[in-house]
Amino acid sequence: MATAIADPGARRVEQIMGMPILVDVRDDGVDDRALDAVFEWFRAVDATFSTYKPESEVSRLARGELRVGDASPYVQDVLARCEELREETDGYFDAYAGGSLDPSGLVKGWSVDHAAAMLGLAGFADFAVNAGGDVRLVGRARPASSWRVGIQHPLVRDRIAAVVEGDYLAVATSGAYARGNHVLDPHTRRPPTGILSVTITGPDLATADAYATAAFAMGSDRAPAWTATLPSGYEAMTILAADRVLTTSGFPRPEW
Amino acid sequence: MTRTSVAAALSALTLAVPTTNAIAATTASTAKSKVVVTTRRFLGSSVEADRWGPLQVAITVRKTTTTVGKKVTVKRRIVAVSVPVYPNHTDRSIFINQQALPYLKQEVLKAQSANVQLISGATDTSYAFVQSLQAAIVQARKA
Repeated sequence: MATAIADPGARRVEQIMGMPILVDVRDDGVDDRALDAVFEWFRAVDATFSTYKPESEVSRLARGELRVGDASPYVQDVLARCEELREETDGYFDAYAGGSLDPSGLVKGWSVDHAAAMLGLAGFADFAVNAGGDVRLVGRARPASSWRVGIQHPLVRDRIAAVVEGDYLAVATSGAYARGNHVLDPHTRRPPTGILSVTITGPDLATADAYATAAFAMGSDRAPAWTATLPSGYEAMTILAADRVLTTSGFPRPEW
Repeated sequence: MTRTSVAAALSALTLAVPTTNAIAATTASTAKSKVVVTTRRFLGSSVEADRWGPLQVAITVRKTTTTVGKKVTVKRRIVAVSVPVYPNHTDRSIFINQQALPYLKQEVLKAQSANVQLISGATDTSYAFVQSLQAAIVQARKA
């Protein structure tokens, strides 16, 4: 087989937290152990934060068997960030939106941010991590080309609605269905209307993911205006019903 | 739990042994340049489409390798997409497949014009489709 022209580095996909997680490292001389460590991290996150595992810390917290003060520092970190984001989003991002504690909406992006930090500390300069559609990019895909991320079309699901390009960037999308459950407006406990998907880009994936979830939950009336008020570095593309697409001015599209 | 580990095993299997059926290979040479066209099929990992069951995507990739002197140029293009394994075990999922799969199949070719390494987005059946497609693209890039 011709291998000389294959992409450099190494990539691996594993199914963890109910989703395929892709780690794609483009540096030369990737040590398998570096990838092993990243996937061990994701499995540890799953064991700690899963709402499906009765013995996880989050499940024990939800049942009242564990106090927040006695939980691991990682869990305390995530819960504190959930609360900050709840306030920042007027309650539209809420780890209790479903009635009981479920920080999954933050944990996915947060765990990818940690994985990216691990790969950086291991000495890698060019890599990407994709956990169930939440993407973190570092460096370049090729020496001459940036990473390019296709944003899934919300209606014609196998099509791309836009392309995002970046060297150091997080990309999160919230859509009409999230992992088998409707995203609900925490205030009305009903699905939002008039909105098909929200994509947020920025420096931090956990934050971008929470913003995307919050904006989607707001629905078509509030989301576009709210995305215009995001902190510096965060950009948004909101796709509304009737094929209306609203993007903030700095949204990193190389083409349309 | 079992379901997840089965999917993980399938994923590992497809990564380790990509399904690469050489469908066609043609070579054309002139005095200084050489063009080799190969067409191969790549299976994505089997992905659980939440409660609907497993879904797997296969793509057929045409690779054109052009050698002019010492310069080698490679172009890859997705020429066909199929869904060999898709959820079909309840009335609801049959309905969803009838609605969704024709779209899923016929539109990916257009998406190929956007050359991307990763996909951002998340939904039920199509979520699995995207993830399986992502795995197939990874396979094609390695070959």
